[in-house]
Amino acid sequence: MEHIIIIGGGGAGAALAHDLTLRGFEVSLFEKGELTSGTTGRHHGLLHSGARYAVHDRAAAVECIEENRILRTIAPQALEQNDGLFVALSQDDEEYGETLLDACRTSGIKAKKISAAEARALEPALTPEVRGALQVPDATMDAWRLAMYFFATARRSGATFHPFCEVQGIDTRAGRVTGVEIIDYTAGKTRTVKGDLVVNAAGAWAGRVAALAGIDVPIQPGPGVLVAVEGRVTNMVINRMHPAGEGDIIVPQRGLSILGTSLWLADDPEDISPPKEHVDRITALCARMVPAVGEAAVRSVWSAARPLIRDAEASSPQQISRTFECYDHKVIHGVEGIVSLLGGKATTVRAMAEKTAGLICHKTGHEIPCRTRTTPLIPWRCFFSDAPRGGLPRSAP
Amino acid sequence: MKRKIRLKIRRHRPGSETPPRFEIFSLTIDAESSVLDALEMIQGGQDPSLMFRRSCHHSSCGTCGMLINGDERLACVTRISQFKGGTVTLEPLPGFPLLGDLAVDMTPFYRDIDEGWDYLRGAENLGGTKLPDGVERFERFENCIECGCCVSACPVAGEEKPFMGPAALAALNRELQKTEEPATLPLLEQAGSERGERLCNRTLACSRVCPTAVYPARHILDLRTRLRGGRREP
Ligand SMILES: Cc1cc2nc3c(=O)[nH]c(=O)nc-3n(C[C@H](O)[C@H](O)[C@H](O)COP(=O)(O)OP(=O)(O)OC[C@H]3O[C@@H](n4cnc5c(N)ncnc54)[C@H](O)[C@@H]3O)c2cc1C
Ligand code: SF4
Ligand code: SF4
Ligand code: FES
Repeated sequence: MEHIIIIGGGGAGAALAHDLTLRGFEVSLFEKGELTSGTTGRHHGLLHSGARYAVHDRAAAVECIEENRILRTIAPQALEQNDGLFVALSQDDEEYGETLLDACRTSGIKAKKISAAEARALEPALTPEVRGALQVPDATMDAWRLAMYFFATARRSGATFHPFCEVQGIDTRAGRVTGVEIIDYTAGKTRTVKGDLVVNAAGAWAGRVAALAGIDVPIQPGPGVLVAVEGRVTNMVINRMHPAGEGDIIVPQRGLSILGTSLWLADDPEDISPPKEHVDRITALCARMVPAVGEAAVRSVWSAARPLIRDAEASSPQQISRTFECYDHKVIHGVEGIVSLLGGKATTVRAMAEKTAGLICHKTGHEIPCRTRTTPLIPWRCFFSDAPRGGLPRSAP
Repeated sequence: MKRKIRLKIRRHRPGSETPPRFEIFSLTIDAESSVLDALEMIQGGQDPSLMFRRSCHHSSCGTCGMLINGDERLACVTRISQFKGGTVTLEPLPGFPLLGDLAVDMTPFYRDIDEGWDYLRGAENLGGTKLPDGVERFERFENCIECGCCVSACPVAGEEKPFMGPAALAALNRELQKTEEPATLPLLEQAGSERGERLCNRTLACSRVCPTAVYPARHILDLRTRLRGGRREP
């Protein structure tokens, strides 16, 4: 079948490689660094229930809850499934909580109102100032292992992965993309790879990749800061019961609590070093919900760039929808043979892949149904245990 | 506080004609900068061909293990400011096949770790008196992030060596602790096999370098005690 080239080895590229190989395509994926070295892997690690988006971004909320249910069954070992709370600390929060509860119901997110005393019986580390809470089906994900589940399964179905291979050019002939120019850092060599169709799954880098084909895509890197502190102080994900803002989510993971996040708009997805004031603000805001995180030793501070779809109408960056789009550049720009997969969340990569693979089937004239909703993924460890042995280069003495 | 430092990085591509060499990069860092931050600065500004692995930036994925001034550590949670002197030396983890520069191939790490071993466990008790509706127990991931630091530090483990190594034995013991008889038997057999716990010589390097407090040597001692009928070896 057709040879599909995927540019970008994050969650989106991983899920797409899995979907396409299940449908029978030949897949090669190129990633400029190690797999998952972009935004995937360093995000907050929240498997969204969708509640965060339910009030202002219904489409994203519905996508999240659907995918949340699917991932729990196809990749269970990449998730700490302890649910989450939205906690109210003020009267405004409580009022927002009513709106949120309604919005969750209409988006199909199971939400349960609980009293302050119940919330503290579940999570004693919550501030005594808590006034009430909503229980929602949030979960913690292991960002790397979830992506590796997709990579492992795709590899077993025949996809080939090329980490440390950067796409530096996209070849076009007579208005049609014919392949890509790669610099392979493992060999220090450049080469040309021919393909029937190229998918731009480069996340916050998608604008740069599309530009290689002379195409402008509406992607805007939206970095945010995350702070990991020592100590698991809650078992549930703790969110502030207010319109999605900054410093309002604590995700427990292993023996750490991850505090986040902030959001600004950047031009360069790599020029994102965490501003000190963001760290202080995030820590202070999260400590209002769970005081212990304000005292804890900091394990690590970092930032990551969201692949936001530009939106001139949005009143603030927080209001930009977290839904996703896949673009056929034939329709928009008159360039055949290239598709871009933009936006989305780590929670929704499977859905992003389903839609993109559907578009690819349509373009190549195949009618093959998607099977990724119900196909259990193979554990991440198989990515390594399946790897071809013997031919690997040996380390130098 | 900004500070100027030098990173001395071992560069090599297997199969290339150029022999391994150390290359020195100078850069200005913050007090909080990690080794990984510095590597990203070099890759972004000075040399995009520098190969290293990384993903999570906070010691949960396990991809960024390397030798930092001679010790197995995670680049993402190692702050440069803790090192006196102006130069930090970086080398790939010994004992694993080299992919290039600081990146190694983790395939041998998983040789004795069953893909199906449970990666979840009950979470610590945080004093709560209730569980949320629909949640049967609070759970969390195992501490081992599969970084390979312990295997690299172990004097008797390594790609070409017969020993299954500290990480596999620790994972095996965790699985054993969650398994009921008689399903424990094959696990005990694996632990007691020719590649198993008998090869450990208790230098404890594994427990010393583990970045997430797995203490593999304790798990090995557990297995040894269990296999030898409760007698604790000296
Ligand atoms: C601070 C923050 C917190 C977040 N928290 C959450 C959360 O809790 N839950 C959630 O669901 N989502 C979260 N997200 C969103 C989520 O992380 C992203 O939507 C998702 O990871 C994007 O995956 P991706 O595959 O599209 O992009 P990426 O993972 O960035 O993958 C794109 C890849 O393309 C590669 N690439 C770029 N250029 C080239 C080239 N020329 N050649 C080859 N490869 C190239 C890059 O190196 C990169 O690895 C968060 C995002 C941020 C920034
Ligand atoms: S205690 Fe055993 S496993 Fe650990 S480093 Fe020493 S020999 Fe290796
Ligand atoms: S036991 Fe510790 S050092 Fe060894 S692989 Fe696991 S996390 Fe890394
Ligand atoms: S980058 Fe994940 S452990 Fe260091």
